[in-house]
Amino acid sequence: MSELIHIITATHPEQRDQSLDTFASKATLNTLLMECKALDDFRRQSNNLYERVRALFFLYAIHRFHIPTKEDCDENGSIPFQGYEHLLNRRFEEAINLFLEAQETSGANKSISSALASAYHSLGFQTLANQVRKSVRTVRGNQWMFRAGHPEDHPLRVRRELLTTQQELFPILQETTPVRMDLTHSGWSDIFFLGMDFPEGARVINVSIDLAVRGRKAAPKPPVEAYFRIIDEPVIRLASVDLGATAVIDTIEALFDFARDYLGLLKAAIIASGIVPPGMEGAVQPLHQLLEKLIGPGKGFELISKVNDIPKGSRLAVSTNLLACLITVCMRATGQAESLTGGLTEAERRLVAARAILGEWIAGSGGGWQDSGGVWPGMKMIHGEKAAEGDPEWGISRGRLLPSHHILERDEVSVQTREALQNSLVLVHGGMAQDVGPILEMVTEKYLLRSEKEWHGRQKAITLYDHVIQCLKEGEIQKLAQATHENFHGPIQTIIPWAGNRYTDLLIEQVQDQFGEDFWGFWMLGGMAGGGMGFIFAPHRKAEAQDTLQMIMSSTKRSLATAVPFAMEPVVYDFAINEKGTWGTMLAGSQALMPASYYKLTMPQLLRQNNRQLSKHRQAELDFFGNASRENPEFAGMTQTLFDALIPQSVKDERVQSQLQNLLDQYGFDPVQHEQIRTDLRSGRIGLSQNRLPVNTQIEDVPLADLLDATQPLPAAYRQAGIEALQAGKVAVVSLAGGAGSRWTKGAGVVKALNPFVKINGRHRSFVELHLAKSKKINQLYDADLPHIFTTSYLTHEPIYQKIEQEAQFNYPGTLILSQGQSVGLRLIPMSRDLRFAWEEQPQQRLDEQAQKMQDSVHKALIGWAQGAGEGSDYTDNLPNQCLHPVGHWYEVPNLLLNGSLADLLDKRPSLTTLMVHNIDTVGANVDPAILGAHLQSGAGMTTEVITRELEDRGGGLARVNGRVQLIEGLALPYEEIEFKLSYYNSSTTWVDIDQFLALFGLDRALLNDKTKVETAVRQLAARMPTYITLKDVKKRWGNGQEDIFPVTQFEKLWGDMTALPELNCRFIVVPRQRGQQIKEVAQLDGWLRDGSGDYLASLCAF
Amino acid sequence: MNIQKAVITIAGKGQRTLPLQTLIDRDGTEKSVLQILIEETLQAGIEEIGLIIRPGDEEAFTEVAGHHSGRLRFIEQKEPLGYGQAILCARSFVESEPFLHLVGDHIYISRTDMSCAQHLVQVAQAENCAVSAVQATRESYLPYFGVVGGSRVKGRQELYQIETILEKPTPTKAEQQLMIPGLRSGHYLCFFGMHVLTPAIMEILDELVANETAVWLSKALHYLAQKEKVLALEKRDWRYDLGAKYGLMNAQLALALNGSDRDLVLTQMIDLMAHRELGA
Repeated sequence: MSELIHIITATHPEQRDQSLDTFASKATLNTLLMECKALDDFRRQSNNLYERVRALFFLYAIHRFHIPTKEDCDENGSIPFQGYEHLLNRRFEEAINLFLEAQETSGANKSISSALASAYHSLGFQTLANQVRKSVRTVRGNQWMFRAGHPEDHPLRVRRELLTTQQELFPILQETTPVRMDLTHSGWSDIFFLGMDFPEGARVINVSIDLAVRGRKAAPKPPVEAYFRIIDEPVIRLASVDLGATAVIDTIEALFDFARDYLGLLKAAIIASGIVPPGMEGAVQPLHQLLEKLIGPGKGFELISKVNDIPKGSRLAVSTNLLACLITVCMRATGQAESLTGGLTEAERRLVAARAILGEWIAGSGGGWQDSGGVWPGMKMIHGEKAAEGDPEWGISRGRLLPSHHILERDEVSVQTREALQNSLVLVHGGMAQDVGPILEMVTEKYLLRSEKEWHGRQKAITLYDHVIQCLKEGEIQKLAQATHENFHGPIQTIIPWAGNRYTDLLIEQVQDQFGEDFWGFWMLGGMAGGGMGFIFAPHRKAEAQDTLQMIMSSTKRSLATAVPFAMEPVVYDFAINEKGTWGTMLAGSQALMPASYYKLTMPQLLRQNNRQLSKHRQAELDFFGNASRENPEFAGMTQTLFDALIPQSVKDERVQSQLQNLLDQYGFDPVQHEQIRTDLRSGRIGLSQNRLPVNTQIEDVPLADLLDATQPLPAAYRQAGIEALQAGKVAVVSLAGGAGSRWTKGAGVVKALNPFVKINGRHRSFVELHLAKSKKINQLYDADLPHIFTTSYLTHEPIYQKIEQEAQFNYPGTLILSQGQSVGLRLIPMSRDLRFAWEEQPQQRLDEQAQKMQDSVHKALIGWAQGAGEGSDYTDNLPNQCLHPVGHWYEVPNLLLNGSLADLLDKRPSLTTLMVHNIDTVGANVDPAILGAHLQSGAGMTTEVITRELEDRGGGLARVNGRVQLIEGLALPYEEIEFKLSYYNSSTTWVDIDQFLALFGLDRALLNDKTKVETAVRQLAARMPTYITLKDVKKRWGNGQEDIFPVTQFEKLWGDMTALPELNCRFIVVPRQRGQQIKEVAQLDGWLRDGSGDYLASLCAF
Repeated sequence: MNIQKAVITIAGKGQRTLPLQTLIDRDGTEKSVLQILIEETLQAGIEEIGLIIRPGDEEAFTEVAGHHSGRLRFIEQKEPLGYGQAILCARSFVESEPFLHLVGDHIYISRTDMSCAQHLVQVAQAENCAVSAVQATRESYLPYFGVVGGSRVKGRQELYQIETILEKPTPTKAEQQLMIPGLRSGHYLCFFGMHVLTPAIMEILDELVANETAVWLSKALHYLAQKEKVLALEKRDWRYDLGAKYGLMNAQLALALNGSDRDLVLTQMIDLMAHRELGA
């Protein structure tokens, strides 16, 4: 029997919890391939969720981390394009079958293993998602909602109490709900699958809390509120008063369109509460037919949400609790909760939790199983539950989908302890923008693989949970703080190193310095640090700590603002434990008014209408509102607010416009070229589809024989020649750091080069620091003195300059030069033609069912935005820096000529002959003497490093194009599938012979000082380089930590196209993946660290 | 168990005029709804019928009861205090005997020669306990009925031991508390409008009415099921709510299509459709 299947099926924990790595690292390639065959057969025939998923993750890990390390595994193979298409379309089984066939035919190789790893990984998560969805649907109380398909079959009725008017006003049902904080953070054990497979280990202490942002509101109150009211129109009115969004829903279809506006959560609540059950998606009957059945003829309802000043990303599950709050109010209104007011019964709370999971799935988002904890009162222990006979999970998974809640009563955790906790804990939002999705995937994966270190971390987290419970029962807050501190610095970061970051480390260091022993401990809330966090202090210093933390966070944020994406200014909260849980109240008669902010949103429109057109209920409401504006303190200032809203704002923000113009002037914006691009774009002469080469272009793969293979040891003579060149001062390094790193931060507009993304030698370090550390080590090893140049742009120059000054060149002893960018573009609103081409004609990754619906809806909305805002117009509706764009890295090297950096350097170092130009992403690149020697000995004008292609390497590659070997950009490929025939991918590292390079421009060293000639030469060569139109994501921030992402059009010229110039003598060299891999996305980091690339990088550095 | 009395409630708002309507019964003769209901109970061996009426309605009902009027005892519900209180009004009439209870705004059509009430009474006598007639009903009708939850009596296809009864439950509650294995998905056992009740129900109703307003029979039956054995008899016959839209018409059609004039009525319907709808 296969050893790995034995591990999966073992009942004894000691065998079951064995690590895959321990086995696979010792196994031969043949053994691994045999195990893979057995595992694949096993997972196909097993009905048990855990067995299937664990087998899938074993298969993923073997192909991702183990097979590629075996010496007898081939470097290169081909990935069938059809398999890739299957992957994009989520036909994972078909993709796996094709990849396995390819492996059978060509033997094991790194390329096909990368494809298999990706397919098994995706299938693993798809299997989990399917099971969670199935379990949610099969929860008793949810099933009927998927059967009700016709409005006439609607089995719910609105409660009569809500239809009875008083003083012409319909009553309002108000729901207020606390949010939750997790006191233990038991290693993300609230991930659904962990609870379902390891219920014993899925345990958290969850506390319902009220909040107020310190300095804004007097006392903490439940952070989320929902309001439900009958109206005398057969429509559904929605409003989110904190987001300033309203909508009138008059069709069933519109209710299922989640991304059309900011009201997706409210729509999801209406669906998940059964008012418009999910089974009615796609029903063509009019909405009023459903409302008539539900409420009565001519009637509809209004649903309002309100979040009290709590920013997004607080790690307090605000959105899940708001969803639960909305669902609760809808359930009360339709008799699905026993009582219209007060608290809920335990059975009702559990149903709300299940419906919130359903709602999150419907709206294409997701959370953990403890997130709707605010529905419950006070402190509670939430535990995974073993599945029992009769449960939908029985025989499928070990645990139930929904955990059980044990409310800690006052005899378990005393009133004094609760007060003590409140008197010591300072809750904050650090302001960082975070996407915890990848982290939750990593946790699931590491749990299933039982990687030794991480598994021990999880065991430790479990013991810390027991310790925290003990501390609470004994009233020992200081010990509790020590436990949460230990948890963050131990198990949490052992399981996921990315849970911590430089920002959090700096905050903790400063707090420790200032408060010494009175700082009792740090406590991480939720998915990762940097957003919602807790700091626990001796009670007598809490108030001081709140003020100090605000200052520390603000100043630290300022120092990192250009390197780390922040969504908002950090805030400190006042908080109180909420002992009621979610709570319903009926507002009737003169009390039946919505919150003041609702009227700010809706009243201007009402006031513009003729009074006689308003219903008697609206007229009565206006009367009461008028009275409240005069008498009720909550409505104070409303008259002025409404007056402002009624008068159109005619003065535009001229300050922002002038800042943008200044930047354009400063960074060499070319308005003539911009106008030409706009005209061409609008006329259809340029665009995404026009980037492509003609279909009759001959594009062929390049065999290894045509390249130099540096994956094998190179001749010693090369290395010797390289060392001599280093010692003779012939080489300089150019790191291209002008880009915006859109994929890294999803358009946040921070400097990727400065992002402290990985912890090496005990601290988080940025790309800039690491590149300098590699040059430093080369200097030390070979007694060299490498000049290191960073090319910059409008976005990156000042921040990099500041950082290098601040950090004293990161201890780099040699020459460090910043080559300032000389060109900038202004982003354009995209053509809907290009958006459609990108989303509909180019292969796109299909998402899971609901997420795909959400994405389709977003795309539809964005096409509408582009058309409404004016296709091809200047994009100016954002911060000035976010409206500009770097014009591609081709310009970054010629800029060395334009700004005089190269001339200066050559003046000081006439022996300089060679530049190693590399992208900021290519973290493994250094001045390797053997490769340098190979370049020098070949006499090439330019030597480009390539790597063997794996599945994630998208965007062109090395090809013979119409007979010439060159790099080809993905944007230029006439067909997608050609890329899959190209064996090598560009690493973006090139070795440039300075004199041949200058000759290409018609220049030489002497002419470099002739500015006019240089400018003409650069312009002439630029004209020969292809211009690509691209779509990039740009973030726009607004409100309380809210972010929108817009696709914008920009143009680029790319460095790789230099290899297409016939007069340039180009060579190509295959290098090991660890040297040539580019880090484009944060989600790549964990795999990069685990496959040894992180250690490889550390070995190249000297700090 | 000997069941000789029946209680029919016809005091409800919108309910009291329905038994006065005239229909053609299965035997082709013209009868008032009340007469049809009385005959239903008589077939079940009932000797005496208590009619719960509004004050002042006695004369009208006496008139339409025809020759059965001698078996009727009129019991006035002085104030409209709900369904449960209406039944409680019959406390002195039923004394300490079990009784058959029908609602006055439904008529019942059996698939066999045995009437619905007769079947129910036979089962109650055999099982010696209270029995409610129920029917598997789609969940979209839950807002109209009392619904029972329980488990099938071993070896009995149509009998269920009642554990829970909820009045007009939401589908959410129904799914959590009232699902019965063996029923089609989305179907629940809803009241058929006909029960055999034991005298203990009166004590429960008395207590409930004293403390609550608008008491439903469902609630009292739920408590009864906690005290003593209460069964549900699944009926595959038809019941027609006369108060529903086109209720009387549907009932009339059902009677005709199950009676001696079936061919005549079918012919007339086809003729009507051919002339009216198809323009033949």
